[in-house]
Parts: sequence; C-alpha cells; structure tokens
Amino acid sequence: MSTQHSASDSAKHRHRHEGPGKHIVAFIFSIVLTLIAFAAVMAGEVNKTFTYIIIIVMAVLQVIVQLAYWMHMKDRGHLMPIIFLFGGALIGFTAIIMAVYWVWW
Amino acid sequence: MDWLTTVDHKKIGILYLIAGGLFFLIGGLEAILIRIQLMQPKMDFVTAQQFNELITMHGTTMIFLAVMPIIFALMNAIIPLQIGARDVAFPFLNSLGFWTFFFGGLLLNLSWLVGGAPDAGWTSYMPLASNTYSTTHGVDFYSIGLQIAGIGTLLGGINFLVTIINMRAPGMTFMRMPMFTWAVFITSALILFAFPAITVGLVLLTFDRLFGANFFEIANGGNAVLWEHIFWIFGHPEVYILILPAFGIISEVISTFSRKRLFGYSSMVFATILIGFLGFMVWAHHMFTAGLGPVANALFSIATMLIAVPTGIKIFNWLFTLWGGQLTFNTSSLFAIGFIPTFVMGGVTGVMLASAPADFQYHDSYFVVAHFHYVIVGGLVFGLFSGLFYWWPKMFGRVLNEKLGQLTFWTFFIGFHMTFFIQHFLGLMGMPRRVFTYLPNQGFDTMNLISTIGAFLMGVGTIAFLINIAVTAAKPKNAPNDPWVDGRTLEWTIPSPAPEYNFKQTPLVRGLDAYWKEKMAGNKEVPAAEPVGSIHMPSPSIIPFMMSVGLFIAGFGFMFAKDEFASSFVGMLFNNYIVAILGLVITFGGMFLRSVFDDHGWHIEPEELEDKGVKA
Amino acid sequence: MSSHAEHLDGQLPHEPEKATLEGRNKVLGFWLFLGGESVLFGTLFATFLALRDQIAEGKPGTELFQLPTVALATFILLTSSLTSVFATQALHRHNVKAMINWLIVTVILGLGFLGLEIYEFFEYVHEGHKFTTSAFSSSFYTLVGFHGAHVAFGVVWIGILIAQIFKKGLTVVTAPKIYVAGIYWHFIDVVWVFIFTVVYLMGKVG
Repeated sequence: MSTQHSASDSAKHRHRHEGPGKHIVAFIFSIVLTLIAFAAVMAGEVNKTFTYIIIIVMAVLQVIVQLAYWMHMKDRGHLMPIIFLFGGALIGFTAIIMAVYWVWW
Repeated sequence: MDWLTTVDHKKIGILYLIAGGLFFLIGGLEAILIRIQLMQPKMDFVTAQQFNELITMHGTTMIFLAVMPIIFALMNAIIPLQIGARDVAFPFLNSLGFWTFFFGGLLLNLSWLVGGAPDAGWTSYMPLASNTYSTTHGVDFYSIGLQIAGIGTLLGGINFLVTIINMRAPGMTFMRMPMFTWAVFITSALILFAFPAITVGLVLLTFDRLFGANFFEIANGGNAVLWEHIFWIFGHPEVYILILPAFGIISEVISTFSRKRLFGYSSMVFATILIGFLGFMVWAHHMFTAGLGPVANALFSIATMLIAVPTGIKIFNWLFTLWGGQLTFNTSSLFAIGFIPTFVMGGVTGVMLASAPADFQYHDSYFVVAHFHYVIVGGLVFGLFSGLFYWWPKMFGRVLNEKLGQLTFWTFFIGFHMTFFIQHFLGLMGMPRRVFTYLPNQGFDTMNLISTIGAFLMGVGTIAFLINIAVTAAKPKNAPNDPWVDGRTLEWTIPSPAPEYNFKQTPLVRGLDAYWKEKMAGNKEVPAAEPVGSIHMPSPSIIPFMMSVGLFIAGFGFMFAKDEFASSFVGMLFNNYIVAILGLVITFGGMFLRSVFDDHGWHIEPEELEDKGVKA
Repeated sequence: MSSHAEHLDGQLPHEPEKATLEGRNKVLGFWLFLGGESVLFGTLFATFLALRDQIAEGKPGTELFQLPTVALATFILLTSSLTSVFATQALHRHNVKAMINWLIVTVILGLGFLGLEIYEFFEYVHEGHKFTTSAFSSSFYTLVGFHGAHVAFGVVWIGILIAQIFKKGLTVVTAPKIYVAGIYWHFIDVVWVFIFTVVYLMGKVG
C-alpha cells in the first residue's frame, strides 16, 4: 500500500495520516472474539445459558470495536452520528424486548 | 413541466399542500358517508362491506395522505426560511419524497376502482387482514401503497434533520431556533426511528399475503399479536409525529399574536424532546386487552400517564404567553386559542384511557373514537388551519380573506365539538366502534344524529376555506414581507412570497426571535453574514417523478402477479412478473442515472438579485 | 449555496469528503439513514426472535445450520470490511490507485460472501427448509435475506463507484460517495455480527 506524496504535499500535510496499524488490531480483535463465540458453541458441552451470554457479549464487544475504529465513532465530530445510531439501536432493542417477553405467553 | 421537475422546497411545499388538500377532501367525503350511514339506526345507505372500506380508507387517507402531507407542506415552505438557509440539504430527495408519497397515495386510492378498497381498518390487524379473511386485493393496496408513501416520509425526515443540523445561519445555535423548527427537528427524529418499523411490518404483511410467508399464519407457527406490536411500535410515535408540528405552530402563532416572547422557551424544548422519547415507550397501551398481562399493562399504563407531564408544561407555557400579552384575534390566532382547550380535552380523555383496568371498558368503544378525534382534529387540524392562515402570505404573497376565515373557524369549531363531544357519551353508553349500524332504542339514536349534523357543519367550514383560497388567488400578490407586522422570526424578513433564492445574503442571527430582537434594537433588518455573491442553485430533475412511477408500476405488478386476466397477453405480463420487474428497473435505473450524472447546478448572479442596496 | 473547496495549489483538501457543504450533508445524512436501518434490522431481529421456535413441519436450526460455512462467510465479510477501511485511508492519502484496488478486493470478497450464502440457501431448500415452510423459516429467510440483499446492493453500488472514479477521478464530489459507501459496508458487517450470533450460534445451541 504505497503512499504517493508530492514534494509540495509533504510540506503542506503536516498532519500525520493514520496508518493501517490500529485497524489491523481491530481486525484481529474481531477475529478473536468471533472465534471465541464459535468455539463456545462448537464445544457443545457448555451450559446453554452460559453459552448464550458468552456469544452475546462477544458480539457486543466486537460491534463496539468496529464502530469505534472502522466507523470512526471515537473520532471527534461524530456527536450526531453517535446520537442517532445509538438512538436507532435503542428503539431496535425495545423491539427485541417486545419480542422476547410479550409475544408468547 | 416545471412542477414535475422542481427541486425547490417552496414549490414542493405547495405540491404537498395541493395533494394533501385533495386527499383531505377524499377523506372528508368518506367521513360524511360514514356519518350518513350512522345517522339513524339500521340505515342501509351503504352495505357493511362498503362501510368497512369507508372507515379503513377514511383513517388511512386522513393520517397518511392528508394531514402528514400538509405538515410536510409547512415544513418545506417554512423551515429553510426560519433557519436562514437557501434550501433543504437534499433538494433532489425532497422531490423524490413528494412523488413517492403522491404515487403511493394514488395507488392506495385506486383500490376503490380496482377490486375494492382495504377493509381491515387503518390498523389492518391480523389475521383479519390475511388472505383467508380479506380475500380481495384491498389489503394489498394498503400494504404496498403505504410502503411506497412511507419511503417518501422517511426521506423527508432525514432531509429535515440534516438541514436543521448543518444549515442554520451563523449565530443560530440550537437554543436560538424558533419553536416550529425545534418541533420539526424532533418530529423528523421520530419519523427516522418510527417508519422503519412500519416498513418491516408492511413487508411481513405483504410477504404473508403475496408470497405465502407465515409470520402471522397461526397454523404454521405465526403470531397475530406480533403484528399488533410492530404496528403500534410505529403507530404510537406516529401520532406524536402528527401533533408535535402542531405544537410548534401554536408556539409561533401565540407568541406573534400576543406580541410577547414564548414563555419558558427552554422548558418547551425540553418538553418536546421528552414527549418524543416517551412516545416510543408506550405503544402497548393500544393492546391493554390483548392479554399481555398485568405487569406489562402496568408498565405501559404508567409510561403513558407520564407523557401528560411535559404536555402539561407546554399548555401552561402557552397560557402564560397569552397572559399579559397584547392579543390580536384573527383566524390564525382563533384556531390557536381554540386548540388549547380542545387539545386539553383530548389529552385528559387520553389519561383516562391510559388506566389499563378502565380501558377494558373503553376499548373499541366510541370513547376511543372521541379521544383521538379530539387530539387529531381538535389538536392537529386546528393547528394546521392556524399555520396555514399564518404562513399563507409567505407562501403565496396574499393574505387569506379574514371574513371567510372567521366563517371557516366558527363552523369548523362548532361542528367539530358537535360531532365528537357527544361521542364520548355514546362510548360510555356502550356503542362499539367500527360498527356499520346499530339497533334502535339503546339511547344511541339522537346522539348519532347530532354527531352527523356536526360533521356536515365541518364540511361547510371546509368549503368556506376552499372558497377563500379561490377568492384570494384572484387578488394581486401584494402582501408585504411582514404582513402581521409583529413577525419575530427570520421568514418575515424576506419578501412575500419568498424569492427563489430565499435570502439575498445569509442573515446573521444575534439571539432568539432574531427579527424581533433587531426590531427592539431599532433596526429595520437583520444584519447580513456575507457579502452579496453568486448563489448556487440545484438543477431540476424528472428522475424523482420517474422513480416514483416505477414503484407505482412495480406495486401493481407484484399485487396482480397471481391473478387471471381476460387478455392472455396482459396475463402473461403480470404472471411472469414482467410488470413488476419493469417497474423496479425504472426505479433502480433512476437511481443509477442520479449516481452517475452529477448535478452541477446553476448560478444566480448578483446583478439578477433585486437591487435593494447592499450591506457591507 | 455550496462552498467550492479551495486548495491553494489546486490539490484535493485533506478530508475531501467533508470539504463541501454537500459532502458534509451527505455524510451526516447517511449516518442518520443508518440510524433508521438500525431500527429496521432491530425489528427484523425481533420478529426472528419471536418466531425462532415455530418450526411447524420443518427442521430446526440445530439440524440445519453448518457452522464451518458460516464461519467462512463471516471471515470473508470481516476481511472485506478491513479492506474497505484501507480504501478509505487511501482516499485520505489521495492515493487513487490504491483506493480503487482495495475497493475491488472488497467487491470480490463481497461476491464471495454472497456466493456462499446462495449455496447455503439452496442446500436448505433441498432439506425442506423453504420460505413457506414455517414461521421460523419465513423469518429466517427474511432477516438473513434482507442482509444479503444489502450486501448485493453494496457490491453493485461500489462497483458503479469504481467505474465513476475511473472516469471522473477523485474530487470533492466523488469523495463523499466513496466515504459513504465505506460506512455502509461497515454497517452491514456490524449487522452480520448480530446475525451469526443470534441466528446461527444461538440457533445451533437451541
């Protein structure tokens, strides 16, 4: 992945472009969390509720990592995206509560 | 042709007003027919089937195709002007939003002519709305027509959110925005979060009816309560989408015609946000009798009653604004003042309904019908009339006739209370809703008759309004910038109607009620934030119209794919999904063209701008 | 209405997608759209969760789902999300060639994911798990299918954008489109994390 900067460019661009490093770390993190979740299920002998908890926690952690790094949510200037994305997630979560508790009885 | 391709928010606002107005007349006609049928016991003015279609279409048309578009009309006409912007963030999408609404509404109403209108109520509960019990295409028109129209609404919501966040004039912080702008901002957030839920619901309904899915098919494991949940998770925020803009209008009108700033601005903002948020937490109060159980019913009961608190804050703030003000009574302010007690009446019956045990008696009776008409008609529609009379000069350059306006107000106001006040008692006496007739000698007869007479009176008021529009249109366009003289907000600083580019120079905002602030400081105008320069304008486009036609065609294509036709050629086109795919190709083709061919816009040069003197 | 981004020597500004008002509007508008999509997928997940035990005459997830295939598909989609990050980084470096290459890799991986999913669906249909079989099957295909449709749309969209970059180059007009497509691609990977967890892993556990 070569970077091409002209001479005048490097004079102007005093800010550093972020390297691929952090993102590769996020990638590896995601792989590891995914593997743990798959392993918990494929091992087969773990208690059912415990398995559920593991895989859900792994999913939530992975989503946080991806949102923060790959979708730049940790960078400044993202207040509105954060409000509206989490707002939407909150309503979605409300729908899930509905489905789990109030559809069958 | 200009009107088919315009991306100008002001013209789109007028398109929404005309289309919404037409659908309002259709919905109003449906209401009159309903009231005629119920005028006396055992009438056979319409059949039971026709009655079911009438009540379904009346509700669906009025909510989705009449009042929401009129709300969008005012949003489009006024928001960019109130924030000092030259257009909305996405002019192309704005046009697309209008045309999808229009063609969705057209599709839905064509059901009257093609095999029967939907007849399962505006809430389309399953399994009544399934293929087994609703055998005509009616409910398909409902699911597909609303789906198409809903796309437009969602796009509009995103558009206004970005516009308000990114395009306010310099100096206009969030806490210096007019209340109508705040109301539209929160409403747009509600639209963004509520409409995807109905999108899913309608998809599930369509899949069940057209493709053999089993979401609500009990025999294969489906669940009918799931429909109710999904519908009302959308449906409750929907009614706050309806009322919050009206709250915004009332705040503007009351403060202008009291010559006083709005009392408690910060608490008004906070209350609006709270109402919006809580609106998502109460949906199951429409399902108290569905059997969710005492814990769920208690939670939703309490949450529902909580909403009365921020709403009450708003009512008191309006009253405190009026108190001590120099009041002007004209049609606009009369509708706003009439709104207050009427909406409160609707609100208190809402708190009554919120009590789950009590609701077991009220549910599915005319008490509920009375409640929601009080808040939607007595609340929203009064607010819309107020806003239309208030902003008509800014949109059309002419002030509506005041005498005809007064006639509209008084006939509509009196007719409204006549129609719906009495329905509280009908409900308490046990008359169920959605019944096409009733037996005599239960005490219902006289009350129903009075209710029907009131409906006719509202019809008179509506006709007076139409005459007013016609009479006013014949007048010259001579309204000044600030026809009410006491305008407080930025839209009153520019000519009536607004010029194509809105503001010759973007204004510099120095406080809340920016224009009033300048007036009190002895200035005639709001200072400019930039020198006069060339103004970039977006280009018109036929693609939004084209894409909407595509969806319209696709809708028919999917709906009639399994039907038999007299002509085998037509049958071949439909049964092989050729019509459906053709429609989708048109729509996606439009998206492709829009992506690939960039719009460079055009410019209005300084020389063309009106020469009123340039601020340094 | 737009501020034409000016750069002293005619070169692209640092973050070209944010250099114009139109660009900033598009980026913000897209984030808001994703907020709405979160509710959409949330409702689809809710429907699936409500109906996941209603298998009627069909087979349950414990018998149907093959985790190795799902793991492979997951790995492919996750990698494609990484490559789209690299594409955005190339965009910020104004390195058009690298950007296009990473976008092409992203598209190929996306097509790979789709191929696996289509193969998987065909297998299920052979085993009697059809769209019309039960409430579980209808909601399975709708949830996973909607996600797949989003992947397919993204593949076509990014493909068209690649063609546009070839023709018009990287400008303050094309940059927001690439940036926004990148956010979209990340979002559908985020949704997939929940799908493989809730549908496949939870489905396999029972």
